Amino acid sequence: MTLVLAIVVPLVAAFLIPVFHLARKTLPVSLIGIMGLISLSASMAAAYAGWFSPEVSLLGGWAPEIGIVLVADRLSSAFLLITGIGSGAALACALEKFGGGPWRFYAIFFLLLGSMNGILLTGDLFNLFVFYEIFSVAAYLLVAFSMSWQALEAGLKYLVLGTIGALFILLGTAFTFMATGILNMALLSEALVSVPRETLTAISACLVLGLTIKTGAFPVHFWLPDAHSSAQTAVSALLSGVLVKVSIYALMRVCFLFFLETNGTVFLAITVIGSLSALGGHLMALRQDDIKRLLAYSTVAQIGYILIGVGCASAAGAAAAVFHSFNHMLMKMGLFIAAGNVSDEKGTREICKLTGLWKEKPFWVLGFTVLSAAIVGIPPLNGFMSKWFIILSSAGAGTVIPALVIAAGTVISAAYYLRVLSAFVSPGESDQEDPFKSSPRKVRSKIVSLTIVGSFAMFCLALGIMAFSPFSREYFSSIGRTAVDVGAYVGLVTGR
Amino acid sequence: MTGNAPFLVVGIIFFLGMYAILFERNLIKIAIGITLLEASANLLLIVLGYRTGGSIPVYTLAGGTRTMVLPTPQALTLTAIVIGLATSALLLSLIILLYRHYGTLDVREIRRLRG
Repeated sequence: MTLVLAIVVPLVAAFLIPVFHLARKTLPVSLIGIMGLISLSASMAAAYAGWFSPEVSLLGGWAPEIGIVLVADRLSSAFLLITGIGSGAALACALEKFGGGPWRFYAIFFLLLGSMNGILLTGDLFNLFVFYEIFSVAAYLLVAFSMSWQALEAGLKYLVLGTIGALFILLGTAFTFMATGILNMALLSEALVSVPRETLTAISACLVLGLTIKTGAFPVHFWLPDAHSSAQTAVSALLSGVLVKVSIYALMRVCFLFFLETNGTVFLAITVIGSLSALGGHLMALRQDDIKRLLAYSTVAQIGYILIGVGCASAAGAAAAVFHSFNHMLMKMGLFIAAGNVSDEKGTREICKLTGLWKEKPFWVLGFTVLSAAIVGIPPLNGFMSKWFIILSSAGAGTVIPALVIAAGTVISAAYYLRVLSAFVSPGESDQEDPFKSSPRKVRSKIVSLTIVGSFAMFCLALGIMAFSPFSREYFSSIGRTAVDVGAYVGLVTGR
Repeated sequence: MTGNAPFLVVGIIFFLGMYAILFERNLIKIAIGITLLEASANLLLIVLGYRTGGSIPVYTLAGGTRTMVLPTPQALTLTAIVIGLATSALLLSLIILLYRHYGTLDVREIRRLRG
């Protein structure tokens, strides 16, 4: 029941907001805040239930062969936690920035929240596609929401590539249905073993290609930097921190369930895509002058790291991938919020013009410094730990090249993050008054955003230290074991 | 051979759509390409469930025939069509807004986000 509520509650909120808007033109901030809290506690309840006792709910009471099932195990719970924290932070930032005015924004936001929970909980391949499309349409709308030409263009690009990805997923689903006649993912993982090799190749090619486009990995990443850099601050943080992770969850779930025993080539392909993504993302980020584009390309590279972890096809790799997803959510959301606020107040996003910030806003710069140190991978911070685990598991899987790629990527990322930081701490040109700068852009102090950035930075430090203790490592490796344990998932769904 | 003809049509529509998306310069033509891709996926789903001589998969309306077409792909197709409608509507409205801003539909002139 908790699983259904995690999907239904945000959707109800999404449809209530227009109704409230009819009664009152400007919605009170507290109302949206309360709706957000209720939705997030519903998804946290589902995460809690799934973590301590894996839960299945059969919608309408139909058997898993014919009905749709919702499943929450430790992998889903971990990602529910990631999306919960991330979307809560994004909602808080949006409320602080926009207030209760743009009711459409909040309606889309709650729609997105519900569909994300749907993706994370569903156990049915076609239902996954449906939720994925709701999620994508909401994401396109959020990207294009500010209606500036950059946002419209980025939204259109995202829409075109996202729709192509979705159609590949649909084709893969159709082929799967043609080959087996079922759509339940747990039953499919058993049925696909007896499917002919050629059919399986077609299915895996379609599904992996579609999910890769949606994830935004390197060869098909074009939409990602545009979308993530053109959207508003809160949306950028949400896109980079949360939406990418949901896509990675879908990729992990589908690949581990379907292809772990049947088609090992899929994981090799994922490793290759991951390595390309890591290198390509870092190299492109090195060339950027726009701070938000730099962060967006850095996201491409971090997706590559996570995919390398997934491509190990082992429990350790999956655990490292989940750990890095969590860390990346913290780091990149914090970085986007800090960069967005700083560049909004400065009125420019060019790195070379973002000078003298250390004197003006030391706390923002401090938060940005800690978070970028974490994402580069300075040892006591969490970014180092998760990269280290990915390198270990990738070397353990017998491939050293991805590990070397991660090491090389660390050097490149250090180069471009240091460039940003050196601009931040360099003295500003306060003597020559810029006509654009003198116009009072600052509206009010962004205390909530600052708190979020600060607490994420503290969280990064705490997680990095926690990862040393075997106790908390045990927690993360249990996620990895759940992810690769197909038999347990099948047993959970079918009740055998 | 004639049984495979629908699949051939699906393939042709799919490649036409892909071609339009990859090589056309006009945004409306790209939108048409995406719609073609959707149509091909929907057609594939419908063809999957078809049984020769089958009737509609509603028990009370099926009449005396023994064979019915498979109902699941039809349900899937209906859902996919609705999703396709939402995406097409959004796509076309974005194109309209971009046209108002740029006064052109040529991708080469619209593509300003680079690097």
